[in-house]
Amino acid sequence: MTTLDVVGSGGRGQPQPSRPSRPSRLPRGAGLLRRWRPSGLSGLARGLGQLLAVGVPVTLLATFITYGMTALTDSNPAATVLGDLATPQDIERMNHQFGLDRPFLVQYVSWLGNALTGDLGYSYFTTLPVRDSVAQALPVDLSITLVAAVVAILVGGVTGIAAALNNGGRLDRAVTAVCAVASTIPPFVVGIGLIILFAVTVPVLPSGGYVPISEDPGRWLKFVILPGVALSVEFGAELTRQIRTSLVGTLRENFVTGATVRGLSVRRVVFGHALRNAVGPALTVVGLYVPRLIGGAVVAEAVFNLPGLGQQALQAAERGDIPVIQGVLVTSIALVLVCNVAVNVALVRLRPAAERRS
Amino acid sequence: MSVLRRMIRLRSVRLALLVLAVVAVLAVAGGSLAPQDPIAQDPKAILQNPSGAHWLGTDYLGRDVLSRLMDATGRSVVGAAEAVGVGLLLGAPAGLASVVFGRAFEWLALRISDALLTLPYIIFAIAVTGIIGNGIHQAMLAIGLVLAPNYFRITRAATLGLASSQYVEIAELVGASRWWILRTHIWNKVLPTIVVTAASGAAASLLVVSSLSFLGIGTKPPAPTWGGMLSSDLNYLAQRPWAPLAPSLVIIITVAALNALADALRDTTGIVTGDPGRSGRARGSDSADTAETSSAATANSAVTAGSAVATSSAATATATGSVETTTAATSSIPRQKREVSDV
Repeated sequence: MTTLDVVGSGGRGQPQPSRPSRPSRLPRGAGLLRRWRPSGLSGLARGLGQLLAVGVPVTLLATFITYGMTALTDSNPAATVLGDLATPQDIERMNHQFGLDRPFLVQYVSWLGNALTGDLGYSYFTTLPVRDSVAQALPVDLSITLVAAVVAILVGGVTGIAAALNNGGRLDRAVTAVCAVASTIPPFVVGIGLIILFAVTVPVLPSGGYVPISEDPGRWLKFVILPGVALSVEFGAELTRQIRTSLVGTLRENFVTGATVRGLSVRRVVFGHALRNAVGPALTVVGLYVPRLIGGAVVAEAVFNLPGLGQQALQAAERGDIPVIQGVLVTSIALVLVCNVAVNVALVRLRPAAERRS
Repeated sequence: MSVLRRMIRLRSVRLALLVLAVVAVLAVAGGSLAPQDPIAQDPKAILQNPSGAHWLGTDYLGRDVLSRLMDATGRSVVGAAEAVGVGLLLGAPAGLASVVFGRAFEWLALRISDALLTLPYIIFAIAVTGIIGNGIHQAMLAIGLVLAPNYFRITRAATLGLASSQYVEIAELVGASRWWILRTHIWNKVLPTIVVTAASGAAASLLVVSSLSFLGIGTKPPAPTWGGMLSSDLNYLAQRPWAPLAPSLVIIITVAALNALADALRDTTGIVTGDPGRSGRARGSDSADTAETSSAATANSAVTAGSAVATSSAATATATGSVETTTAATSSIPRQKREVSDV
C-alpha cells in the first residue's frame, strides 16, 4: 500500500480497522504532507479508543505501583488504627476485616474489580466509603480547575492572538517577556501574592474557604476566583506562547497569502482561516497540560485552605490511610483521561475544512 | 570547547552561572555559613521586621529568616537534582534502547511512558510518600519516575533521527555491531540534547520540589525548605505581608538562572528541544518560530491520527522541533526497525 492508496481509499467508506496498522512504507516527510487518518471513525469513537489504549495501562501501572509499595513496606494499618492497647488477636481480626490477610495479588485484583464498579473501599480510620469523601471533594477541584481553564483560555487566547498579529512589535515582545517571567514563578507564590493583594491589603475577597455552587453561586464565585486565577497564570502563559507561535507560523502559510490576495478582510483571514489551523497545536498543549493543572489545583487548595482532593490525599498520606490515597489517585487519573478524550474530540472537530472533506 | 567559550561570552550566561555558583556554595555550606542557628527559636522576637540582628526579620517562632533560607538551599537543590537524576537514569537509556532493541521493548516502553505522562505528579508524589514514608528521597523517586518520560521521548527522538542517517546505514552495511554503532555514532551525538533537556528539566523540577515542600511533602518539620518557609508565612500574612518575598525571590531567581542557561545551551549548540515541562518557548528569532510551529503542526497531525502510538509521538513532536526528526518519529518507526534488526 503506498501513501496515496492509504490516503485516497480511506474516505470512501471502506472498512478500516479501528486501530490502524502503522504506515510502513511512507517516504521521509510523508507524515507532514499527507496525514494518515483512520476515516470512518467518529471523533468520539477514536477518543474512546485512545482512552482504552492509554487509560488501561496508566491505571494498572499507577495503582499497581502504589499497591505494590504497600506490600513492600512493613506498615501495619490495623495496629495504627487500634492504638497501643490492641492485642494480637484484635490486630488479626482487624486485618481480616480490612482484607489484609489475603495474598497481595488477590487483594489487588479484588480492589481493582471493585474500583471499576465505582466502589473504592472504606477508609481505615473513619470507616466511611472512600467514594463518598472523594465525591464530596471533587467539585472543589473541578471548580477551581474550571475557573483556571476559562481564565487562561480567554486571557491566553486574546494575548496570544494579539502578540502574533503584532509579530516582532512592542506588544509582542512585552507579552513574550511576561510569559517568560510567569513560567519561573511557582504557582503557590502567585496564590500568596493574590491573597496579599486582595485579602490583606484591599480586603475584598476571602483568603480561603469554600461554599458549594448549589448553595450560593455568588459566594461560590468569591471563594473560587482567587484560587482559579492563581492556577491559571502558568497555564495561561503556556497557552499564550503556544498560540502566538503557531499563529505566527500559520500566518506565513500560502493559503493565508491566498486568502489575503483574494481580498478577504483581515478579520476573516485571521479568525476564519488562520486561527482554525493554528489552534490545533495549542489544544494539544492543553491536553498535555491537564495533569499539571490538576497537580496545581492540589497546591492551590493548600494555599486557599479548600477542602479538596489534595487535602484528603495529604491527610490520608499522614496517617497511612491507603484506601483513601488510592481512591484519590484513581479519581485524578480518571479526570486526566476524560480531559484528554475531550481535547482529542475537539481536535478532530477543529480539523481544517479541506481535510474533513477527504 | 567552542560551545562553552561562545556561551561564556553571553551576559545572561555569566549572570546565570554567578547565581548558580552562589546557590551551589549555599547548598554545600549554607548551614554553616548561616549567621544564626536556623532552628533556634526565640519567643521574645517573633514576627520581627528586618533589623541589624535579623537581616530578613524573624518568623512566627522567632527563627532568623536569613539563616533558614541559607540552610534550606541544600535540601531544595539536592531534591531537584535527585529528581532529574532519577528521571535521566530511567528515561535516557530506555529511549536509546527503544530504538535499538526490537519491537516488543519499544511497544512496552511507549505504553509505560504514555501511562506515566497521564499521572498528575503531585498527587502521585503524595501517594508515594503516604505509603513508603515521608522523606525527600521517596518524594524525589516518585517525581523522577514521572519526569522520566520526557527524557525518554527526547532521547528516543534524537536517536531515531540519527538511526536513519547515512553513516549509520554504512556502518550497518559494513557489519558493525549494534553496540559499536550506539557507542561510536549515536551516544555522543545524543548527549548534548540530553544535557540541554536536563538543564531545563532542573528548573521545572525545582518548581515541583518547592511545591511539594510547600505541601509538607519530603521534609521533616523543623528543618527549613524554601517551600516550607512560604507555607509557614501563609498564616501570618496579616502581620508580615512582605514575608513571602524573600523565599519566593530565591526560588524565582534560581529557576530563571537555570532557564537562562538552558536557553543559552540550546541557542549555541543549535539543538532544538522542548522543555520537559513546558513545550515551545516563544522566542524572537524567525527560524525558531518556524521550527516550533512545524513540529507543533506535526504533533497535531499525530494526535488526529488517533492511534496510541501516534499520540505518544505528539509530545515527542513538540519536543523535537526539527521537521525531519519529527517525521521520522511519527512515520518511519517500522522502517528504522527493519534496518537496525537486519544488521
